[in-house]
Amino acid sequence: MSTTKNIRPSGASTLIRIFILVVLLLCLSVLDLFFGSVSIPLIDIIKILSGGETDSPQMVSIVTEFRLPKLATAILAGSALSVSGLQMQTIFRNPLAGPYVLGISAGASLGVALVILSLSSVVAFNYVDILGNWTLVLVAWIGAGIVLLLIFMVSLRVKDIMTILILGILLGSATSSIVSILQYFSDESMLKTYVIWTMGSLGGVTRTQLSVLAPAIGIGIIMVLASGKMLNALLLGENYAKSLGMNIRNARLLVFLSTSILAGSITAFCGPIGFIGIAVPHISKMIFKTADHRILIWGCILVGSIIMIFSDIISQLPGYQTVLPINSVTALIGIPIVLYLIIKNQRISFWA
Amino acid sequence: MSIEKNISLESLSIGYGSGSKRKSILSNLNLFIRKGELLALVGSNGSGKSTLLRTISGLQAVLSGEVIIEGKRIDAWSRKEFAKIVAFVSTEWIHISNLKVRDLIALGRYPHTSWFGNLKTEDHKYVNEALEMVGMSHKAEDYFNELSDGERQRIMIARTLAQDTPIIVMDEPTAFLDLPNKYEIAHLLFRLSREKGKTILFSIHDLNIAMKEADRIWLINDRQLIEGAPEDLILNRELIKAFAVNNLEFDISSGEFFVPRKKGISIALLGSGERFDWTKKALERLEFDVDCNKSGETTVLVDDLNKQWIATINNNSVTCNSIYELSLTLKQF
Repeated sequence: MSTTKNIRPSGASTLIRIFILVVLLLCLSVLDLFFGSVSIPLIDIIKILSGGETDSPQMVSIVTEFRLPKLATAILAGSALSVSGLQMQTIFRNPLAGPYVLGISAGASLGVALVILSLSSVVAFNYVDILGNWTLVLVAWIGAGIVLLLIFMVSLRVKDIMTILILGILLGSATSSIVSILQYFSDESMLKTYVIWTMGSLGGVTRTQLSVLAPAIGIGIIMVLASGKMLNALLLGENYAKSLGMNIRNARLLVFLSTSILAGSITAFCGPIGFIGIAVPHISKMIFKTADHRILIWGCILVGSIIMIFSDIISQLPGYQTVLPINSVTALIGIPIVLYLIIKNQRISFWA
Repeated sequence: MSIEKNISLESLSIGYGSGSKRKSILSNLNLFIRKGELLALVGSNGSGKSTLLRTISGLQAVLSGEVIIEGKRIDAWSRKEFAKIVAFVSTEWIHISNLKVRDLIALGRYPHTSWFGNLKTEDHKYVNEALEMVGMSHKAEDYFNELSDGERQRIMIARTLAQDTPIIVMDEPTAFLDLPNKYEIAHLLFRLSREKGKTILFSIHDLNIAMKEADRIWLINDRQLIEGAPEDLILNRELIKAFAVNNLEFDISSGEFFVPRKKGISIALLGSGERFDWTKKALERLEFDVDCNKSGETTVLVDDLNKQWIATINNNSVTCNSIYELSLTLKQF
């Protein structure tokens, strides 16, 4: 008999882990506010945060108008993508699933590509200038919504969940083909605008936009928190879940709807941010050593936010003038973390 | 004799598809299962065992006819209420990393808990009892993936106990297990039917195990379902009809199937005792024509006292210390 056992973390040690993550999150948040194109002393940042007086009103506005919204966006994006990735990995019982497997971000990308690439450069520049980022947000949302509707219609008829996974991948391929065609025929400046959008950005979200994004993510996360019990049963597969009394159709609709709200909104406001959604669920499973979603959801929210903020800090490091694309940074930071955890634990796969 | 029927099938047809595309596998089934009965479903691959089990568990729609569970048509049950009546274990192996044994069994409480699935004292009591019943209390805090196959199957059974249903349906619970575990799991099912009064319907390929534990066998052969106590099916030759194909023969006194062997060179075997009996089996396996306690050109004397075998071939005697050595000696000749 093998005697190698993992020590089961008790309820207390789960709380300790959560506490450590919260502390880490707070420290990184302050650090994130500190980095930027204008150097503001840490003392002043703390003063501004606590509502105290500072020498320069400019500093206050940089922190409150730019850096705080960016920090909030990072937390929202990290949480939303991680939590929806967790849901997708469970419902499809596939460790490689992520928030985008349903084709949500592909739909959003197509919407954005249609606007940016199909308009002539002059019209588009004016158009985008007048309406601001809202145009892109709206078309991305519409694109994600159309994909969601397609998935809903199929999932009501299809018994085997894997069919939906394949459909999502097909949808993704089809939309990226259309985007390629659009890219081929569009001019250079438009192409660059689109490519930059695909690299993702946390800094483009204004305070006004945040007042739309934050409630959307809030609703999505509440829906996921309400599905914790269902997700636990879905670990056993849909047959077992059904025999435990679950209404599979309702469960699928709830999970797909919340994933679309979460991944669709983040893609709309920040562009398609990769990697976080696939890696963070695995990282939080390794940290909390449990398969209970009622714990893992909180784990994903904390770990997702931490990695996203850390990525944002790294993306500002090259200098005070340039910012690296967040999409590349999340991958470059995430891969070593996951590699380290694989080597340390020898267990990342869903199927052990 | 009063019958407390837990499950009845009335003119039931089962199969796949719908409309003009439907394909029936078994039709016009009129059967029942008594409360507390341990019933083994036996039949070759593709005979419809899984389809029947899935239909009775409400995971697959009936083609026609009725399945009545606890006095109510299967489609009249709400999903949640039905989950308190019938628990199901499929052949599918569950591999989930970081899932603790206790948490997996607690999933059985799903139909009994609130929306968020928080366990109350009573739920913990069911989980602990289930662990105890399958003899796995000491593994409660282990991870499911780190258990052996036999232990995992026990945990899957414990999960159905936590679900607290009068009926348990299991699709091949002994498949993929080693021999001792096959027997132990089957006997565990027997104990659950006796000690907990569970009605258990399970499919199984190992006929010997089914015959040792089950109260009744449902035998699917040639698109027909025949039922009876295991012994009835032996005496009325139904089991033989179903399995004695392709040279397989059935020894009615031992209740075992065997492949009849060719008989080659004749060997006279002398002696008695258990060593003698097993030497006879070995020689038959090696396709010799064994004559017991007669003299012949080639003889093997079993010396039970000295634990030796003396083979005499053409008046040359060779002493062997094991049946394997004896077999090598005889092969040379």
